[in-house]
Amino acid sequence: MSKKATRASKPKPDPEAEGSSKKSTASALKKVLFVSKELLQKDADDRRLRLERFYHPGQGKDALFVTHPDGQMMELLEYAEPRRSWLLNSEVCSNGRIYMTSPVDPTLLALHHLRKHCAQRAMSLDNIAVEENSTSRLLNEFIFPETLKCVADVKSSGDQRFYKYNQERTLAWLALKTRHVANILKEKQVHCGHSAQSQNFVRSEKLVAENACKEMDYTRMACDIVGRYLDADLHDLLIHYLHIPSEIQAIVEEKTAAQKRKSKAGKDEGSDSKKIKLNDSDAAAKLKSSGLLDSDGDPNASITSPTQGPLKERSLTAKEKALAKGAKGTKSIASFFKVK
Amino acid sequence: MSIVLDFNGKNLAKSKTMDLHYLPAKIDGDGEANVEQYFNNYTREATECGNGILTNSLRGYPLVGEQLKVPEQYRGLVLQETEKSINKSIDRQLRLTGVFEEFTYWNYDKVPSNGDAYRQALLMADVGQALTQHISEQDLEAEIARNKENTKEHA
Repeated sequence: MSKKATRASKPKPDPEAEGSSKKSTASALKKVLFVSKELLQKDADDRRLRLERFYHPGQGKDALFVTHPDGQMMELLEYAEPRRSWLLNSEVCSNGRIYMTSPVDPTLLALHHLRKHCAQRAMSLDNIAVEENSTSRLLNEFIFPETLKCVADVKSSGDQRFYKYNQERTLAWLALKTRHVANILKEKQVHCGHSAQSQNFVRSEKLVAENACKEMDYTRMACDIVGRYLDADLHDLLIHYLHIPSEIQAIVEEKTAAQKRKSKAGKDEGSDSKKIKLNDSDAAAKLKSSGLLDSDGDPNASITSPTQGPLKERSLTAKEKALAKGAKGTKSIASFFKVK
Repeated sequence: MSIVLDFNGKNLAKSKTMDLHYLPAKIDGDGEANVEQYFNNYTREATECGNGILTNSLRGYPLVGEQLKVPEQYRGLVLQETEKSINKSIDRQLRLTGVFEEFTYWNYDKVPSNGDAYRQALLMADVGQALTQHISEQDLEAEIARNKENTKEHA
């Protein structure tokens, strides 16, 4: 009873709440973040983190990154569901997003610029994209020159270092990255097949064994994840390098495999029905052996092959008939989901 | 133009812990609400659904939730933009409102499970970690050699 009473009284304080909300909406919205402990300052640290925009090759435009004054950087990912909001202490926050920092290898971001500027000639980092502030900041303050060796040829003259993009090394480096990611996906048992699968679905042990050999699915998924940080053409090169068949091809292959299995099963069924109904072809065989028929192969084939076809179909239609009989009078599932 | 996260180590250490609820609803509006009296008051434990499962309701819609920890490698922060300056050349600033180690995750009429998008999204952090894993010079040379061999075989 008391519950009901308070619920009924709920609308009453609302006007007040609205009044105060007007005050608080004057100040800007709050944001909920998950920030990596690696980035957060220790007690005495008085420096500030920043959010900066750098060109993100996978997205083809600028994206936000959290930068640490030490030259560390992380990507700022946005987790958003269509209908989410927060209650923060005693406040409603309509921005139901979680902003998460995720480690990113700045070398991946640099690759775009290296391919653009250093494909033909070696350049020093401070000479690349001088006119683009964010790019030169990225290249000079967040890149570890050491790892650039993995994607470029380095030539040094005195103090200066010059970099020239090296496709062979880049692809090998990306392939190794892909392998790391594939391993983590396996470890976390992420479902990587192309068909959707319910999380409630419990796989039988036999199927788990079957999944284990789907190495290629993991590699494809990992390659897609790495590809999110690459220019589209470089992603294609990587796919080619890793010999990943296209997803459509894989689906087709799987379908044919499934069909083989099915047709095998179908044959087994067929042989069952043959036992009962195959008198005609038996007769044909008898005819043949008795020598009553012409020795021509053709008529024989015309006797046996058409009988097999319709036979299979007939058994199917019988099944369908049974199904149709069973379904008589029941509503279709869709009828339950109609808007009333 | 960049955005400054305007807090230092001291602010972080001193900041207050906040009580957060992650609701499965879109709310058009921001501002004060009597959360304690009209929401927290009705949170019940539903042990029949599993350990630590909570129930509540929002506008009569059933909620099923659980107390979740912020993933281990993270700290939860709530930030607020103080004043949006009209002058675009001045950096925007985000101030620290509070921190949190735990929050209540609510689902609409569904027991939280690994099928939730939220939990699956957290995997991306591990993937990101794998993506930044340092690759040694030797591994790289080995991979290049291996690939050369492979292409020879194909040719």
